[in-house]
Amino acid sequence: MVESTISEPMTWAQICEHYPDEWVALVEIGWVNDRDFDFRTARVIGHGSRREQYDQARPWRSRYESMGHYFTGRVRAPLAPLIFL
Amino acid sequence: MKVTRFDPSDSLIIVHATIWGPHGHKGLRLAFDTAATQTHVVPEFLDEIGYGPQHGDRITSITSALGDEPGYMMPVAKFSALGFVLTDLRIHVHDLPETLGIQGLLGLSFLRLFNYEVRSAEGRILAVRI
Repeated sequence: MVESTISEPMTWAQICEHYPDEWVALVEIGWVNDRDFDFRTARVIGHGSRREQYDQARPWRSRYESMGHYFTGRVRAPLAPLIFL
Repeated sequence: MKVTRFDPSDSLIIVHATIWGPHGHKGLRLAFDTAATQTHVVPEFLDEIGYGPQHGDRITSITSALGDEPGYMMPVAKFSALGFVLTDLRIHVHDLPETLGIQGLLGLSFLRLFNYEVRSAEGRILAVRI
């Protein structure tokens, strides 16, 4: 079980530097607008694998109605299509 | 007209979206995918905002990069992307590889409600509600 902690406010560049190629759970996200993935700062409440950061974020759910879950690395498109329908 | 920016150096067009559920709302990143009929979201993300298979109204199966994946269709109370908010959007719930770095696909079930222009070199999507 990973301890649940909360970081100081950080920019996305700082978050990517501290948690490279990890999934992060963010709260207190200061969005710039309602469209882009741009925010001033946010606080990290979970990081690691996709599952680990959800587990670490869960205790904060009663305190934060709004969260974001993002990957700090580059998106890796598969060679094959994502879905075949 | 709303303008959404994306990183043109990414290998996919990634846009930000928000989904509201019984336990709050969360932001996620989706691949803008005009080849996807439905809007897809991974199940563990939806679990965290209070949705689950019990909200599904149709069981589905798709072939993805993970192989044959079971899934289901379900409506979400509120969904926003590209600066527009929809209510009761039906989405397709199934898993995607964690290594992709995204939590789903923004497909035609959402996009067909808009006229849009993708300016790949500029990293911008221009969208107008029909």
